[in-house]
Amino acid sequence: MYYIDLAVTGVSIGCMYAMMSVGLTLVYGLLRILHVAHAAVFALGAYVVVLVANATGSLAVGFLAAIIVTPLFGMAIYRLLYEPLLKYRPDVPMIASVGLLVLMQDAFRIVFGEQGITFRSTFAFTTYNFAGITVSAVQIAIVVTAAAIFAGLHLFTTRTRIGVGWRATVSKPQIAASFGIDPIKVRYLNFAIGSALAAVAGGLVALLNNLVDPGIGFVVSYKALAIIVLGGLGSVRGTLVASLVLGLVEAYGTIFIGAWLDRDAIAFLALIVLLMVRPQGFTGARTA
Amino acid sequence: MLKRSFHAPTLSAKVVLGLASVVLLGAATMMPARADIKIGFQAPLTGPSATDGKSAQIAGQMAVEDINSAGGVLGQKLELVIYDDQAKSDQAIFTANKLIGEDGVKLVVNGSYSASGRAAAPIFQKAGVVMISAYGVHPDITRAGDFMFRLVHLGPPQGAATALYIGKTLGLKKVSTITMDNDYGQATMDGFLEAASKYGIEVLSKYSYSLKDRQFGSIVASVKRDNPDAIYATGYFFTGGPLVAQLRAAGITVPIIGSQAFDSEKFVEIAGPAAEGTYIVDSFDRDRKDEALQKFFTEFKKRAGYAPEGVAAITYSAVMLMADGIKRANSDDPAKVRDALAATKDFPTLEGSLNGFNSLHEILMPISVNVIKDGQFKPAGEITDLSAFAPPEK
Repeated sequence: MYYIDLAVTGVSIGCMYAMMSVGLTLVYGLLRILHVAHAAVFALGAYVVVLVANATGSLAVGFLAAIIVTPLFGMAIYRLLYEPLLKYRPDVPMIASVGLLVLMQDAFRIVFGEQGITFRSTFAFTTYNFAGITVSAVQIAIVVTAAAIFAGLHLFTTRTRIGVGWRATVSKPQIAASFGIDPIKVRYLNFAIGSALAAVAGGLVALLNNLVDPGIGFVVSYKALAIIVLGGLGSVRGTLVASLVLGLVEAYGTIFIGAWLDRDAIAFLALIVLLMVRPQGFTGARTA
Repeated sequence: MLKRSFHAPTLSAKVVLGLASVVLLGAATMMPARADIKIGFQAPLTGPSATDGKSAQIAGQMAVEDINSAGGVLGQKLELVIYDDQAKSDQAIFTANKLIGEDGVKLVVNGSYSASGRAAAPIFQKAGVVMISAYGVHPDITRAGDFMFRLVHLGPPQGAATALYIGKTLGLKKVSTITMDNDYGQATMDGFLEAASKYGIEVLSKYSYSLKDRQFGSIVASVKRDNPDAIYATGYFFTGGPLVAQLRAAGITVPIIGSQAFDSEKFVEIAGPAAEGTYIVDSFDRDRKDEALQKFFTEFKKRAGYAPEGVAAITYSAVMLMADGIKRANSDDPAKVRDALAATKDFPTLEGSLNGFNSLHEILMPISVNVIKDGQFKPAGEITDLSAFAPPEK
């Protein structure tokens, strides 16, 4: 029973990591920028969800609002922050990205207050019991949403013209361009989809914690970076695998070393060990 | 004639001017006597700890206003010189030097965390500046020297008092512990673990988490397997809230005992119905029949938009105590204020009566416990056996 409880935790956390990391790995694959400000997009998503859900009384409307607002914000980051800096070395946009994250965190604090916001909805407290295994409604929502999103993304990138073009641009930008795919449009699409995913993840994490505070993006800012490195920078499949592995390692790691190390330390320990064994990451097909 | 009459007024004008300047000069030299007494104030106003910093700032300002509207101290007004230390050591050192060098401050109330208070303490000590740390719990703060005071129970005594409360008062013997792995969380837990066996407590398992974490799934699953009589967790309300909610969501029903920094109405808001029955040790008794406390409560809520938590109450008390020290020293000379503070006896704080300070300037004061009932903080007893959680003397 205990091991199943841990598996439930590991899988749900892993799915959450996947949703927040995919946008990051896509940006890296396309532009070779470590999009640290992705964490700010994630936090913005969480704020939009909680504010709109509390105002309208509907979580669905909250999430809908978030997946409308955050893609616009993500595209604005590309247009206003990254595009003018692309001509410099890759660490220049990355530093700008870190700056934006710090700025946004304090902006959230100033605008929405230090104390954080909780949900009015009681969805966060809903739990189900399956033969002694307690699963919260939010955990189920995370897994179902992640599965639906990644199935949808898979169909989008294999069955639709624009999706195939996107994939082609990420892997072979020059050839894709010679086939008439507009690389700039692909970049916007990339930021829009990545940001929407981060927003959904942000909203779900907010529900899981029943708290949106200015520090909510912290986890994304460093752990998602670790995940995409582990996944083999730029690889979506590798990122998905790394997310799930990390979620499970954190969950089961608590059994053995939980008294001395916290979850993050376990995660980074695992990262170091894995990178020593496989420096190219899980897939290793496309390291920078 | 004309010339003379022209000259005379000029001369007298010169005399008047001269006289006036003498008077002005005199007034200027007398000014310092009537000037405000500056109290330096450090708190984390930006960054991840700004929640507490904001509360501390509002409470500190309220205390100064209350003192000044009651006539000030020694006929002078108090003035708070506020700096943001971001709860970071480098910022604390930088602003401490600024307070000493630029502002010429001799007395300081530190409304900040352990890490920053601990960095600022030696600087103030060296400059002979009195500092009261309102709620910084790291032992090094008072160890910096005799100009340092602390108005909160150290982590280890808080933990020791918790062991007494769980083992003796509640009579629960099998405990799982969950530690937040920063200075405060670990020091408090160390005190608990050290005292636990004295009250027949068996610690089943120990877990730790980071301050940034809000997801405790694996800890919760492990605690469920431990099947303890009680759970003791150290943390802040923003970690404690999600933790308690997730423990209860997993169907764990045993009593949860939280550390001092769970003390915030936000804790109840985050954990929702799951907060019911959570004990908070060294939490402040909001129901105490005390006019100053009730007035503070109403006024703080009006200004901040949320109810004051322990941090606010203790920072207010720290400024009040500093003013009282100046009064008793009959001077704002730091050495005299230090001696007056060290001799403090039965000073009324918002959290109850402060018996006094020990040789290391750690507080001697009973610890009160609250329990959440119907979403409210309700008193659940007071731990008065001071010898069970005596602070260190060096």
